[in-house]
Amino acid sequence: MIIFFVLPLLLTVVWSVFERTMFWMEPAFTLFSYENFFFSSRLENFLSSMFHSSISVVCAFFIGFPIAIFIRRRVKQVAQHRVMLLFILPFMVSEIIRIFALRPILSRNGVVNSFLMDMNLIDSPFSIFVFTPTGVVIGEIVSFLPFMIFSTFLALEAIPNYIFEVCADLGVNRRRMFKDIFLPLAAPGLFAGSVFIFVNGIGIALIPTILGGPGSVNAGLIATQAIIALDFPLAMAVSAIMMFTLMGLLYLGHRLFNLTKLLEPIS
Amino acid sequence: MSLRDDFQPKWKLLLKWGWLSFAVFILMAPTFYTVYISFNELGFGAKYYNFTFQWYENVFSDKQLIGALGWTMLLAIITLPIVIPFGLLSAKLYKQSNQKVWIVFILLSPLFVPADILASALLVFFKNLNKFFTLIGEYTGIYSLDTWFDLGIMTAVIGLIVYTLPYVFVVIMITMARYRNEQTEAARDLGASAWRAFWEIEFPQIRAGVFSACAFVVILTFNEYTRTSLLKGGFDTFTSVLISQMLNTGMSEESYAMASIVSLVAVVIVSAILIVTAIKTEELEKKTRIVKEPNK
Repeated sequence: MIIFFVLPLLLTVVWSVFERTMFWMEPAFTLFSYENFFFSSRLENFLSSMFHSSISVVCAFFIGFPIAIFIRRRVKQVAQHRVMLLFILPFMVSEIIRIFALRPILSRNGVVNSFLMDMNLIDSPFSIFVFTPTGVVIGEIVSFLPFMIFSTFLALEAIPNYIFEVCADLGVNRRRMFKDIFLPLAAPGLFAGSVFIFVNGIGIALIPTILGGPGSVNAGLIATQAIIALDFPLAMAVSAIMMFTLMGLLYLGHRLFNLTKLLEPIS
Repeated sequence: MSLRDDFQPKWKLLLKWGWLSFAVFILMAPTFYTVYISFNELGFGAKYYNFTFQWYENVFSDKQLIGALGWTMLLAIITLPIVIPFGLLSAKLYKQSNQKVWIVFILLSPLFVPADILASALLVFFKNLNKFFTLIGEYTGIYSLDTWFDLGIMTAVIGLIVYTLPYVFVVIMITMARYRNEQTEAARDLGASAWRAFWEIEFPQIRAGVFSACAFVVILTFNEYTRTSLLKGGFDTFTSVLISQMLNTGMSEESYAMASIVSLVAVVIVSAILIVTAIKTEELEKKTRIVKEPNK
């Protein structure tokens, strides 16, 4: 893993300052690729993909966190893992298939619009579900929601049952329970889930390609387009920026919440 | 112990179960829809639904697709015997190590790195390795390493190992968590070698996790697109054929059938694993209860 994962990612920093040649790159020290990234529309695209990913994170929190709390609190302990496994099934179907299938479901003449029109809820079909930023956000939620549920459940699983019993005995209300028990104790899981969704939202090219339409570009798409255009230093600059974003977030999360706690229930 | 609150209104509980089921349904909806369309003779958008197996017959008579299936299977077969022992060793190392943070960081961070970013970095890494070995060849006269990292099966397998190892590690860790290390210590005290203690005492107890990890690796290999397509070189894999069909001609009825085959196989395998695991856990709990409370 050090040779084929850590080293290639670290070396992206070195390759990103190389000079571009016709078909490859040659050793040099130039910041042209970074200039090319930061002083062009690419930065705007990158920031806008960050914004859309942040929306996906917030949506995944509001959809996924209550589910994780429900499974931890209300489902019998022996059945908790079995219910969690329901969320493994969609994860095991290829992301490409899931994303592609969203197109006919969300398109103007797709299932969602047909259903809404049949129910007389709308007069004309919505066209904001695909080839728009909304489509990207929907795609990200459908793709990454299980990870938010897994990681938060894993964090909640580490909370001993007696804490809930003590709270019940003391008559703690739901709001306080959420604020003082669930939120702080699930923080490592919430953070890990959020980082996963955020980073993959700005790094996976497939979702904006299929659901985002012509204006939707994220870091992953910039990197793959740069490789197709044989601009390897630019692709490496984007990879290095992504790597630093990810490492920075993981370091911050570890300092704040000690992310290794997440593995305690299974180690 | 059940954590259910007896004073909570039943409709609230039902509402929460409804929300959970709705979330699972939404996540599975694209898969259900793909399967549904794959059996329609008239395809997507048609007013009527005529059930047919025609698109599946077309898929299985497609030589390019059968070839791609073969290549993908080959990748899975090569990846499995490498990644599973790595996963086992990593899980054992994690349990014994005092430097858990670094092990977790190295093993789980590939999960967080987007596919396109890692694939781009690996692609450039392999190209540079080739250039490096060519340079060494020029100086030393040893040219046998020149083509080692040409894009092909080996580079695709390396990409798959980096991708699947975190999953294998987590699945094996979950099963290992139930294993009590005192059993290995007892076996070693009785004179068993480290390998024999592992093979005859520990492995039978974590076997389910290892087999589940194998199934996951095969499924993930069939599902993976970005890393494999950038690192595979000349041959086609199942997903690369699927994607090229989808992007070039849109979702044809054959594309729906192909996608359904991959999805259904994955869902059936994972469901089978989950059901078998659930039954075995139940049996184990029953046995434990009988031993603890023989009169009940």
